[in-house]
Amino acid sequence: MTKERQIAIITSDGDRFPVERKVAEKSILIKNMLKNLLPVEGEEGEDSESDEEDDEPIEIPTQNVRSAVMKNILEWCEHYKDINFPDDEQDDDSKKSAPIDPWDSNFLNVDQEMLYEIILAANYLNIKPLLNAGCKVVAEMIRGKSPEEIRKTFNIVNDFTPEEEAAIRRENEWAEDR
Amino acid sequence: MSSMQPFRVPCSASAKKDSGTLEKLTHSTDSNKDTPGKKQGKTANTKPDRAVVKSNKSAKSLTGSVGDPSGTTTTHSTTTAAGSLPSIPPLSSFSFGPFRGSIVTPFLNNHITDDTINSPDEEHHYCYRHNPKVRCNKAADEIKMTEIQKKLEKLPRADQEAISHVWSIFSAAPNQQRSLILQGLLTMCCFPQLSLISQEVSKLIRIDFIETLPNELALKVLCYLDCQSLCSAAQVSVKWKQMADDDRVWRHMCEQHIDRKCPQCGWGLPLMAVKKLRETPSRKRKIEDVDGIGSASSTSGAISELKTEDSLHIPPPLEECRAITEQSRQAKKQRRTRPWKAVYSERYKVERNWRKGVYKIRKFEGHSDGVLCCQYDNNNLLMTGSYDKTIKIWNVDTGKLLRTLTGHTRGVRTLAFDDQKLISGGLDGTIKVWNYRTGQCISTYTGHSEGVISVDFHDKLIVSGSADSTVKVWHVDTRTCYTLRGHTDWVTSVKIHTKSRTLFTASDDATVRLWDLRTNKCLKVFGGVENNGHIGQIQCVIPFTVKDKLITDVQEHTVPEAETHDTHENHDAEDDCNCNDKLLDIACLPTHMLTASLDNTIKLWDVHTGKCIRTQFGHIEGVWSIAADTFRIVSGAHDRTIKVWDLQTGQCMHTFGGHVSPISCVALGDSRIVCGLENGEVKMYCFDC
Repeated sequence: MTKERQIAIITSDGDRFPVERKVAEKSILIKNMLKNLLPVEGEEGEDSESDEEDDEPIEIPTQNVRSAVMKNILEWCEHYKDINFPDDEQDDDSKKSAPIDPWDSNFLNVDQEMLYEIILAANYLNIKPLLNAGCKVVAEMIRGKSPEEIRKTFNIVNDFTPEEEAAIRRENEWAEDR
Repeated sequence: MSSMQPFRVPCSASAKKDSGTLEKLTHSTDSNKDTPGKKQGKTANTKPDRAVVKSNKSAKSLTGSVGDPSGTTTTHSTTTAAGSLPSIPPLSSFSFGPFRGSIVTPFLNNHITDDTINSPDEEHHYCYRHNPKVRCNKAADEIKMTEIQKKLEKLPRADQEAISHVWSIFSAAPNQQRSLILQGLLTMCCFPQLSLISQEVSKLIRIDFIETLPNELALKVLCYLDCQSLCSAAQVSVKWKQMADDDRVWRHMCEQHIDRKCPQCGWGLPLMAVKKLRETPSRKRKIEDVDGIGSASSTSGAISELKTEDSLHIPPPLEECRAITEQSRQAKKQRRTRPWKAVYSERYKVERNWRKGVYKIRKFEGHSDGVLCCQYDNNNLLMTGSYDKTIKIWNVDTGKLLRTLTGHTRGVRTLAFDDQKLISGGLDGTIKVWNYRTGQCISTYTGHSEGVISVDFHDKLIVSGSADSTVKVWHVDTRTCYTLRGHTDWVTSVKIHTKSRTLFTASDDATVRLWDLRTNKCLKVFGGVENNGHIGQIQCVIPFTVKDKLITDVQEHTVPEAETHDTHENHDAEDDCNCNDKLLDIACLPTHMLTASLDNTIKLWDVHTGKCIRTQFGHIEGVWSIAADTFRIVSGAHDRTIKVWDLQTGQCMHTFGGHVSPISCVALGDSRIVCGLENGEVKMYCFDC
């Protein structure tokens, strides 16, 4: 009777991903959505009126995430489905200084476009730990590089005039030798 | 958090842009005029009727430029193109055979109109490469385009057209069809060609995250960086500079580093108190009181406590300093508006000087005999006591002697001041309280039968340690005095720990005693071989609290098993239990203390276990004085050197020699060390030079 209702995520390009509830709930956005749609059993004395409705899977459209990205996101959620991340960022500081989890680091070893879309999707779906990991990976791509190396890494055009560039270099010289 | 920036769907809108560039290639003369027009149509997508405007324009331009010349040649050239790959037999499913010239134009027409009508709301969904706001890839594109152009020009006219048709069809195709086309092409590729693709692709998928991510995410990324990387980032481009110099990023950096050791990079930056004379009588030097760090309260807990506990730095006002007050007020105004990056870099430079041992020396000349004690308020005020029976007050910035206090009949062995009063102890056995602004001695306490070697005070409580082996606690309010007995030799250092209302006293008898100021009972004695205690006279004790992990000797120090057993038994003994129970009753005890001794060592103790957990060797003669803050310990010894130690690791960072006489006292500020010498010299090492 209390069979769990199925949940499916529909991506922007129309693909359909059936997911376990606790996997989907890694996304706080979806979690809150489900909270309204599907109260956890026992929380509310629910009548059996809506029985036939219950059999239909809940479809969650995510217009902003395409299928290839969602596949990755769900892989991440699946991997962490049994780990509870604290909702608030109270312990922000120690988290900030923590190195990237090796699994995450490997997971996010993708091309820049995929990384970019994963970050945006994690932001949109409100999956903080994934967002943090994604941002850390980008930070690692910047860390320790010279300005020219950074430009090369991200294909950036230097739009400073030579005078500006010289002035800015002087302005930042203080950090150079430790 | 749920809102998302215009998301880049690998979008159909991109088709038009691509075809634009292709037109440029193949028909540079006639189609160029169209491209800017199209761009306008595209960017002006805020207009309600944009879809219509755009579809007309783009459709026209494409049919005009691509459709016209195609004509009959299409079939012919496409087959040639397919046939020109001898190694790969054309796949039947992807055969271009049925193509006829008439197909190309309708395809283009059809899809280009399709696009714009189909998905008007997708119009603002640009992918990274085709977002008109993103400049970055465009320049690279141009280089590539010229390259392609050159290669294309070498081909026969017919082939040029054929190839351009392949491109045109691809560029006109809606996204899903594009994927299909690509998949088809990929199946036709041999490995060298796939390798070419893989190389090109890795060059192409480079995204300027900082420019294109929503600002709050870009800042989040930057917040994970260290200061060098941030300074490099600021030199990348205009947008990067704007982001990498952002106040939010640097405020975060300041919170991570100022007055604490960043767990990530191991750097901590000095707090650097404002050059400001405070009116409040508080002895606490809280993080909130410092300019720029006002909001960093989350990090202030442990540190402010540490600062309070060593009561090393007490900024006071002084009549004489009024001009400076005004000056610093203005300076402060300026600082208010200073960017966090400037705050950080200023402190960073000081810390680097500390680490590299770069300093300038200032001298304060005036004492006619050995200097015995000194205190520096971490700001602009320095006081020294000497065998010449005087106390001298110096303006640190100008080096000027502000005032000489006379009254003691023998050498001034100890002093402590806050922003209102100065308390001094002399070898004449008296304690004197001074209004140092007027130079007036307010009161004199007599009671010790021998010289006063150490004093400390808090509110209306004065504590003194004497050569008569006693400690006296003077309650100024009630005019009562308690004598604490226990030490068997000179009491060389007394420190009130305000929070726990306890008192730490160090003595020439090689022990430190912990007293409860509420009951005047001795709670604990620190010392003894079994606890790895000092074997010489202790000259200085500093109680403090840290949350960070301190590196201790215990790991390397392999204790023989029997001994471990012994201490364990000791621990179980009733005496010890009682003692620990007593300690447990006291709330907010400091976690650690530092001691310096004439046995040439500095020791770090765990207050709760009563054991010495680290011994710092290095001085070759007795250590007379130490001072400490969040980051370091400074010691002055009879061997005429000053050493700077890392508080956390216990490593000696610098040894400063060059003194002609033993160091009898040291004081420490955020960017300065003060030392007093037995020959009467007072020197200041300034690391903020």
